Amino acid sequence: MNNFIAAFWAEVLKARRSKVPFFTALGFSIVPLVGGLFMIILKDPEAAKSMGLISAKAQLTAGTAEWSTLFNMLAQATAVGGAIIFAIVTAWVFGREFSDRTAKELLALPTSREAIVAAKFVLIALWTFALTVLILILGLIVGNNVDIPGWSMGLLQTSIVDILGSAVLTITLLPFVALIASAGRGYMPAFGWMIFTVVLAQIAVITGWGDWFPWSVPALFSGAVGPRAEMLGTHSYVIVLLASLIGLSATFIWWRKADHTK
Amino acid sequence: MVKAVDKINVTVRRGEIYAFLGLNGAGKTTTIRALLGMIRPSEGNVIVLDQALGQDGSGPWAKVGHLVESPSAYPELTVRENLDIARRLHRIRNPKVVNEIMEHLSIALYADRKAGTLSTGNLQRLGLARALLHEPELVILDEPANGLDPAGVVEIREMLTSLAHERGMTVFMSSHILSEVDLLATRIGIIHKGKMIEELDANKLEQLRSSRLEIKTRDNKLAYEVLTRAGYSIKIDGMKLITYEQRALEAPDNIATVLVSAGIAPTHLAVEHENLEDYFLRLTGENQ
Repeated sequence: MNNFIAAFWAEVLKARRSKVPFFTALGFSIVPLVGGLFMIILKDPEAAKSMGLISAKAQLTAGTAEWSTLFNMLAQATAVGGAIIFAIVTAWVFGREFSDRTAKELLALPTSREAIVAAKFVLIALWTFALTVLILILGLIVGNNVDIPGWSMGLLQTSIVDILGSAVLTITLLPFVALIASAGRGYMPAFGWMIFTVVLAQIAVITGWGDWFPWSVPALFSGAVGPRAEMLGTHSYVIVLLASLIGLSATFIWWRKADHTK
Repeated sequence: MVKAVDKINVTVRRGEIYAFLGLNGAGKTTTIRALLGMIRPSEGNVIVLDQALGQDGSGPWAKVGHLVESPSAYPELTVRENLDIARRLHRIRNPKVVNEIMEHLSIALYADRKAGTLSTGNLQRLGLARALLHEPELVILDEPANGLDPAGVVEIREMLTSLAHERGMTVFMSSHILSEVDLLATRIGIIHKGKMIEELDANKLEQLRSSRLEIKTRDNKLAYEVLTRAGYSIKIDGMKLITYEQRALEAPDNIATVLVSAGIAPTHLAVEHENLEDYFLRLTGENQ
């Protein structure tokens, strides 16, 4: 445990001193802000057109200006935007050790490599979860200020499940990004992997295999395509968990066994 | 399969400063990475401080410090923070060790400066500070003098010598700067094309280095004839005459007497010792 605490302390310090947490928070904050903008437009499209907020040709199909619409947008953005922003966080936490050539300083230490990798994963989980909580809070503030109808505590509860559930599923799939950033020794292969999975997830959903493809599951969970119960089965969650465990194990094994030449 | 290094067997005694010499690409860094468990040998095993390294890279790392290849640090962290991370990962509770090592390596002035803004020399000092922070029994250094200015080179040399002599720290260092090795090492291993070709005590090197007598006169051709007639084995090497003959090396004054008697007084007469560079090149055949 002391091993882990030392490694976690180091990871937190590295993250605190970096600008990446700020920029990922800034990037992810766009989600509730855009959601709020949509609510303003949907409340009164004609006024929005006259104010120049949207073009006269705009066809908005996002729904009606109410809390359920805003929460849906937040959940979907967590699943889809999270796949990108969370992958950036993961690629940075692991990939920076290779880009800054500091990986070699983490290998021959009394603190085990396992503790260091575990600390990185815990930091990523906390960081990405915090980003999700941030957009949820911002969403509540924005929705309250735009003054949209349809609020209820029941809706808040189910929406929290939708948003945090989408986030947890997305976070669960991050170990593969860590593996690719480690084995590829830098950020770029991990970014390539992120784009690859985002595209494949779309294709899997279009072809009707989304419930069997782990990287499609968070978006399907968020309700981006339709009601969750119709889109996903128990097998979908099992597959996400399996993909996560494979990614986690492979990352730990890589750090333990691979030849570290960089 | 290309073997980066093959059948390397290095024995370093405690308190020794062992210099691992080789040209670029000879296999020095590969050997050092293998010693630190960063790469695993395809055959054989690595034993460091009497402990065999594990398949998972485990080893006696609390007692080993290292600096591999170019020094690196987290650029957005200060020098102090970089060392603090190393201290925590080395499981040292006392935070004062960071200040002490910064003083020792003359980087206390830069304690609160971000590592990304350091000069190469100061980054090298930071790397050395990280290697020595936990007062290891064994320190493995890859080209420790890289990037240091002449004053820094002397400072590091003196520090390593004192650590070895006073604290009994064992230093295993690679280098291609032969003059540096010549002044510092107590034992030398020479690696060439992945193979250890010579391992010897530094004082034995003195004996192995060949010496020669160099002679210059205003008429080298005549001097050559005179000395050959006097029974010396002489070679003409460009603008000078050379002899490796023992009796000439022991009594160069006799050569002077012979030449003066023949009316061609020497303008230069000196016994030259082969330096480590010449010896290294002779051994590796790289001067062919």
